[in-house]
Amino acid sequence: MQSKGRAIFHVDMNSFYASVEMAFDPSLRGKPLAICGNPAERKGIVVTSSYEARKKGVRTTMPLWEARRLCPDLLVMRPNFDRYRKASSEMFKLLQEVTPIIQPVSIDEGYMDVTDCSHLGSTLEIAQTLQERILKELDLPCSIGIAPNKFLAKMASDMKKPLGITVLRKRDISSILWPLPIEEMYGVGAKTAEKMRTLGIQTIGELAHKDKYQLKRIFGVNGERLANRANGIDDRPVDPEAVHSFKSIGSSQTLPHDTTDDKELDKLLSQLSKSVEKRMQRKEAIAKGIQLMIRYHDRKTITRSMKLQHFLESADEVFQHAQTLLQKHWNGEPIRLLGVSVFDVAEKKEVGKQLDLFTYEKEAEKEGLYKAIDDLTSKFGKNPFRRVQASTSDEVRTSFQKDFLDDYKK
Amino acid sequence: MSNWTEMSAVQPVVSKMLINSLKRDRISHAYIFQGARGTGKAELSRLYAKSIFCKNRTGAEPCNDCKDCRRIDSGNHPDLHWIIPDGASIKNEQILKLQKEFSYTGMESERKVYVMENADKMTANASNRLLKFLEEPGAYTTAILLTENSQALLQTIQSRCQILALQPLQEGQFAELLNSEGISQSSARLLSQLTNNYEEAMEISGQEWFAKARKLVVQLVEVLETRPNEALLFVHSQWMPVMKDREMQQLALHLLLLWFKDIIYLYADRPDSVIYIQEKDRLENSLRHWTRQRATDCLQSIMEAKRQLDQNVHPALVMEKLTLQMQR
Amino acid sequence: MKFVIQRDRLLASIQDVMKAISSRTAIPILTGMKIEAKEDGITLTGSDSDISIESFIPKEEDGIVYVEQIEPGSIVLQAKYFPEIVRKVPMNAVEIESDGQLNVTIRSGSAEFKLNGQDADEYPQLPKLHSEDSFELPADLFKNVIKETVFAVSTQETRPLLTGVNVRVQDDQLHFVATDSHRLASRQIPISAAFDFQNVVIPGKSLTELNKILDENQDPVEIRITNNQILFRTKHLYFLSRLLEGNYPDTSRLIPNESKTVLQIDTKELLRSIDRASLLAKENRNNVVKLVTQESGKLEISSNSPEVGRVVEEMSVEEISGEELRISFSAKYMMDALKVIESEQVKIEFTGAMRPFLIRPTDDEDLLQLITPVRTY
Repeated sequence: MQSKGRAIFHVDMNSFYASVEMAFDPSLRGKPLAICGNPAERKGIVVTSSYEARKKGVRTTMPLWEARRLCPDLLVMRPNFDRYRKASSEMFKLLQEVTPIIQPVSIDEGYMDVTDCSHLGSTLEIAQTLQERILKELDLPCSIGIAPNKFLAKMASDMKKPLGITVLRKRDISSILWPLPIEEMYGVGAKTAEKMRTLGIQTIGELAHKDKYQLKRIFGVNGERLANRANGIDDRPVDPEAVHSFKSIGSSQTLPHDTTDDKELDKLLSQLSKSVEKRMQRKEAIAKGIQLMIRYHDRKTITRSMKLQHFLESADEVFQHAQTLLQKHWNGEPIRLLGVSVFDVAEKKEVGKQLDLFTYEKEAEKEGLYKAIDDLTSKFGKNPFRRVQASTSDEVRTSFQKDFLDDYKK
Repeated sequence: MSNWTEMSAVQPVVSKMLINSLKRDRISHAYIFQGARGTGKAELSRLYAKSIFCKNRTGAEPCNDCKDCRRIDSGNHPDLHWIIPDGASIKNEQILKLQKEFSYTGMESERKVYVMENADKMTANASNRLLKFLEEPGAYTTAILLTENSQALLQTIQSRCQILALQPLQEGQFAELLNSEGISQSSARLLSQLTNNYEEAMEISGQEWFAKARKLVVQLVEVLETRPNEALLFVHSQWMPVMKDREMQQLALHLLLLWFKDIIYLYADRPDSVIYIQEKDRLENSLRHWTRQRATDCLQSIMEAKRQLDQNVHPALVMEKLTLQMQR
Repeated sequence: MKFVIQRDRLLASIQDVMKAISSRTAIPILTGMKIEAKEDGITLTGSDSDISIESFIPKEEDGIVYVEQIEPGSIVLQAKYFPEIVRKVPMNAVEIESDGQLNVTIRSGSAEFKLNGQDADEYPQLPKLHSEDSFELPADLFKNVIKETVFAVSTQETRPLLTGVNVRVQDDQLHFVATDSHRLASRQIPISAAFDFQNVVIPGKSLTELNKILDENQDPVEIRITNNQILFRTKHLYFLSRLLEGNYPDTSRLIPNESKTVLQIDTKELLRSIDRASLLAKENRNNVVKLVTQESGKLEISSNSPEVGRVVEEMSVEEISGEELRISFSAKYMMDALKVIESEQVKIEFTGAMRPFLIRPTDDEDLLQLITPVRTY
């Protein structure tokens, strides 16, 4: 595989929201600043804070009153998400100038594959230039981790903040990575760390040397994956399309001949909807938006979309809305191709299903089962019954940030 | 036709059924009025709606004078909804509006009537929405679907409606009707051949162009019979300048067609069917000039010319070709 | 028809009536405003066919003369121009006159406008409501009832009946119920009525419009119902709405009559706590919050957004009893319900994580909110 000799960056913006505010209003610089949900409210919570505030013990999601107690001269601001989106887009544009192989993972971090960028200098020089440009042109600090794979790059970027550049080579793993306590490992949450400790795993090194079969038995494939990573093994490529794979899910098909026949079009829509449903199921996803593409006989193509109040899940629902879009926007000319896709996609587990007053009893019958799953979930961390298929895929995150991971390309 | 007496003369069967439904107070939830263009589907619906809403009805006859009747004529009746295809099809938006109307009570009373013209132009989606209503109609709601071909409607819709087939208009009846409206007998006969639609017939008869076209047809035949070499010149200098658009060309060719049809009628010894009754002498001349076979050939050439006009062939070319064919 | 009228009084009426007029209507005459002059005053009417508003200007009221020189008659004027003209006339006295040929002249000071009118006979005849089924409510109470229920109607046209509020009178109780099939709001008011009726469904939109027009005062609103329209009458205003046709689902069976976990809690505290928990959730697409009872007798309210973080908050409650509970629900539905409750404390009754729960003010048995939870995957 391509795991040999790769050079991967993980670029991580430092205290991003607070830094953007400071770039916007330089008088804030060097002061303890917290971005807070609703500062007027007595019980607002801290969304993020500057390093100056962190030094005093202010932490994300801490109630504001507590933050103020720890840091009496704390400056508090409401979040300006538009501002952050814009800064993020500018930042990714700078990354783009180095290489097109970048994979945004959230508003303020992303991976780059600079293996083939030797014409720009050594990897360390490229990182230094990039960090300087982001600081100079955008007035924003970042940390960069350099490593042969994504996992190590991510661990490396975390080691020196703010404005750090850390190189983590495979040969450094035993001296740098292994001594770290297990909960500092990326991918190990509080619950998993706790469980690992009960197995006698205190550090990343101990995880690296633990019996893989035992880990697999207890943590499933995730256990095996974590053990591999602890040994510095991570094959995942930097995938610029990773964002798209979750952003929208769709299917399209050309008709055997141009047609204006309602029935034929409905039949195709129904097939496409079923295919979209299958893809959604595979990703354990549901979606809140639907888009229809119509290509006419003369290759003129239109796409029309709508946002829905509730999440779509079944082929029936997809079909129903796709049909509405077709009826509304089709100009009556012969159609060559139809495409149906859903967007505004979210992971099922993140959303839940709104029950219906008139039909909830159907679901309520299974209440016992869900409660059992719930209990097991709180005992073992992630829902142990989730299909393995989905959990092997890349660590996919969906949130408001996801929508504009792509914006820098515009 | 604003009363059932007149309507019964033209559409006796359907009128009788609808009159009975009114007298017995058994108005259906859904009708399909099926009939060729010009058979009076819209007029029938309007009349039926008046009888349903009119509070001064005598038997089945609406008074045509009350607020309800007058507003049905002016399009302001709030509980009569008239849907006409917006362009090529009945749009989803129109159906959504209709669906909303279905879910609301009437404005002045519980009575509501919906008339949908060219109901076969509903999309599949629109049909399904309509079907939903037909499955659970409101107590005092009547839908009337107008179509030239009820088979073009969903089977499930057909089966939920009472289908009333309007008779094709009898030419004689129609000509008489036109004649009774002050159009000369000869014009009425011609017009009844050109259209089944009363308004259209009245409109054509009023046009100066129509009289000219009739004269030109007779002249063209005469030129072809007596000076065939001048026929092309006649077409270019006399015929073309008057026939300004395709529609006129079509109608004029139809008039020409009727002339040759008359020749055939005379050969077939059916003088009663002759249309150009006022041109008896000239027809006699023609009969001497054209053999039955030649007249039939000309009929075919004219029909071919009409087809070509429909296919957007240039009218001048069509006429030239036709003239050459008829010269032979 | 002819009369001379005080401009300001006329304008006020025009403004009320204009609320019902829409330029997008299938019935041409409804783009106009009907003006009717009778001996005792002037009536303006506007309608979009769904709702109709009539405003009456008395000839004289409390010793003030509003209309003079009345010659009875009626006309329909284009609503596009008439209000603008009245707004811009130079003097406070406006004379409006129509001849027999539907020509209308509007005079004020030295200005004169000529408008083409339309025959008032073309205008819809609003039902004469002589029905016995009427009752009265003070305007402010009625506004409150609208506020407490109308937010819960469905905005989706798939089940048209649910876009309306169901009104019933039964055993001297007036019931208002609205549901979008995910949550339900119900208010009952004791009234003395000598009749019962079922299954009147008023479009939610009509009630929202009505709420805008009614003043916040104790004046009575008279409510009358016929087969096809409902009338709300205040002193000088008639507000009519068409109804939704069909049988409203029986909602009484949806209201649970047993409970497994019961909470009593401060309304505002809970509202604020849900608001905070939903703060991060809102940025995400997911607006679901989770409520868990603690062994300590407190509540944990939380929401989780993978990117932004997790909000957890402990809340003390006034009273808690019954089984332990872990339930997720839409923050929006919860907040909508709590916002219309004025009492200091609410009682929430749960019957399990997958079943609808009841929210009631502690001091008012007549208001009830029902919310179905979210099943987390």
